[in-house]
Amino acid sequence: MSRLLLKGQLKAGYESVRSAKLRSFWTMLGIIIGVASVITIVGIGEGVKHQITGQIQNSGKDLITVRPAQLKPSGGSTDSADLLTGIGITAPISKKDVETVAKTRGVDASAPLAVLTGQAKSDVATYSDGFIIGTTSEFPGLVNQSVGYGSFISEDDAGANVAVLGVDAADKLFDENVPLGRTFNYMGQDFIVRGIFNSFNSTPINQEANFNKAIFIPEDVAATLSKNAAPIYEILAKPADASKTAEVADRIDRNLAASHGGQSQLLVSEGTQNINNSDSIVGLLTRLIAGVAAISLIVGGIGIMNVMLVSVAERTREIGIRKAVGATNRQILEQFLVESTVLSLIGGIIGIILAYLIALFLRLGTSLTPVISWQVVLIATGVSLLVGIIFGSVPALKAARRDPIDALRAE
Amino acid sequence: MPLIEVQDVSKLYGFGDATTLALDEVSINIEKGEFVAIMGPSGCGKSTLLNLIGLLDRPSHGNYRFDGKPATRIRANKAAKIRRDTIGFIFQSFNLLPRLTTLDNVALPLTYKGMSQKRRTKLASQMLERVGIQSREYFLPSQLSGGQAQCAAIARALVNNPKLIIADEPTGNLDSASSLLVMELLADIHKMGNTILFVTHNPELTRYATRVLYMHDGSIVHDEKTALGRVASTARKVLLTPQIDNEEHDLARVSAIMKGVPDKQTQPRKRKKAVSKKSSPGHKKKTSNKKAKSS
Repeated sequence: MSRLLLKGQLKAGYESVRSAKLRSFWTMLGIIIGVASVITIVGIGEGVKHQITGQIQNSGKDLITVRPAQLKPSGGSTDSADLLTGIGITAPISKKDVETVAKTRGVDASAPLAVLTGQAKSDVATYSDGFIIGTTSEFPGLVNQSVGYGSFISEDDAGANVAVLGVDAADKLFDENVPLGRTFNYMGQDFIVRGIFNSFNSTPINQEANFNKAIFIPEDVAATLSKNAAPIYEILAKPADASKTAEVADRIDRNLAASHGGQSQLLVSEGTQNINNSDSIVGLLTRLIAGVAAISLIVGGIGIMNVMLVSVAERTREIGIRKAVGATNRQILEQFLVESTVLSLIGGIIGIILAYLIALFLRLGTSLTPVISWQVVLIATGVSLLVGIIFGSVPALKAARRDPIDALRAE
Repeated sequence: MPLIEVQDVSKLYGFGDATTLALDEVSINIEKGEFVAIMGPSGCGKSTLLNLIGLLDRPSHGNYRFDGKPATRIRANKAAKIRRDTIGFIFQSFNLLPRLTTLDNVALPLTYKGMSQKRRTKLASQMLERVGIQSREYFLPSQLSGGQAQCAAIARALVNNPKLIIADEPTGNLDSASSLLVMELLADIHKMGNTILFVTHNPELTRYATRVLYMHDGSIVHDEKTALGRVASTARKVLLTPQIDNEEHDLARVSAIMKGVPDKQTQPRKRKKAVSKKSSPGHKKKTSNKKAKSS
């Protein structure tokens, strides 16, 4: 019996929303904006997470990176001097460190990345957008990346002026996709293009290490060119047994410490750690912004409450008539509660559709790839239902408690 | 057993000094099948009595039994269910829901009973046929004439097959032709064995009643059984002879007029005028009063 009644009231609620389309739309706008923004923000956060995870997974979960740690005077007060000068002092990675890492037990392969800057000139263009990276033949294996055309620097190339280009660098420098065998000039030396990498998966938050724009040359050539002053940005290493990554990382850390006299200023981290770190940062940010956006849901709920209060006041006579012909307080309550819930649910659904549209535009127009999961959609639907019930209950209770005689007398 | 048993029922409105006595220890029994007209000046408590009998309101004192069951201190929800199942209301201003079609309006009491859409539409349609406006099923109330709207309201009152029909000035907003139509309809319903209680200011309409009650200042001052088709004798007096002129009566009339002054329909208009026309005398009076007070 009550099921039949609920069905009827759902229909009546929908009718009532439909009959006052414009007002209903303005009422729902708060919920629409709230739901759409929460879903979009969570979707962007998820998308960024996926991209990072994908990249790190691509380069190998078992990848160990050794980077210089930021130097801090131990014991001193917070470095006001540093803040003033803006100088971040990092400990350099030396050639000895590279050897230490390579010789550590359990390390299968390792490669340093020495970073140089400057212009590369070909016969068609000058290129200064990317880094010149000095590395060894192990590099492609470490980052799980294949060379699309030609081959990578081999061990025999030590001291030879050969280079391998990222796709963007190849395009910019030579204005063609496969400039194999062509030459360019860097720091007065001519380099022959030996190979071109396939495109790396890049993430928008990691522009500085965009390998697609980089030019790779043998490490010792880089050292010679810079007169041994090329800073080694990081050392990449891979353990022989992927399941012992943590162990090997630990061993590298200890060996480095031993070679530095007990105090290593180098930071050893594993690939999975990177995932966890970036995940938690992105997750935190996402939650923060989604929380701010959720406030607009509350504002939307208050909007619904106001409109429902006005609606109850406007329809006092209707309430009186309905009560006179035998509606119980509960039936009146249900009527208005269903109406506010239908209102906010429709708002929620429109918000979800809007979020999908925004996600589509973001995918087409920017490098962001928002991921909208069904859980988020479900939660958004649930929340808009809840908002309708919570903020609809005050006006509905007010309607249900009207005295029938007073209500009938109302204009 | 009478359908309606009202014993020493009083109804008070307001608190403290502002208390008004709307009903003063009224006692009345109404049997099943009676067609009762209630007459009296405005503010005499007719509507209050109807509201109490129709379980829309509760008495301040006294006892009320409806259909043999005590109904004095009844819960709001129980009252709503009794109204839904056994009482039909007809109002002076029709009180149809403006956004529902005539058919849906008539089916409203059945909706609250939880009847399926198909059944209630069928029943409502039958009822509209009975009151003679089946062709207006899908019209909105605003598209109906006054007489048709009241017929729809009667159909709504009848659709749950009630034991009692309460009509508060059912012809008050209608022209004489429509009034006749509505009263003939009520008479028809009465012939089928329904109990009808209606308020009227028109003595002519007591022709339809089997019993006429006269109220004054919250009491029933006269209770008269009449034959169908004849204007009640007391009502004829009210109709034909001017009322006795004495000082007490004059005062009563003045008080009745005073009661009539703050009428809901006239007051807002006056206020609007006062706001829109700054030079209106009412406004001037107010300001001068304020000045007098401040000085």
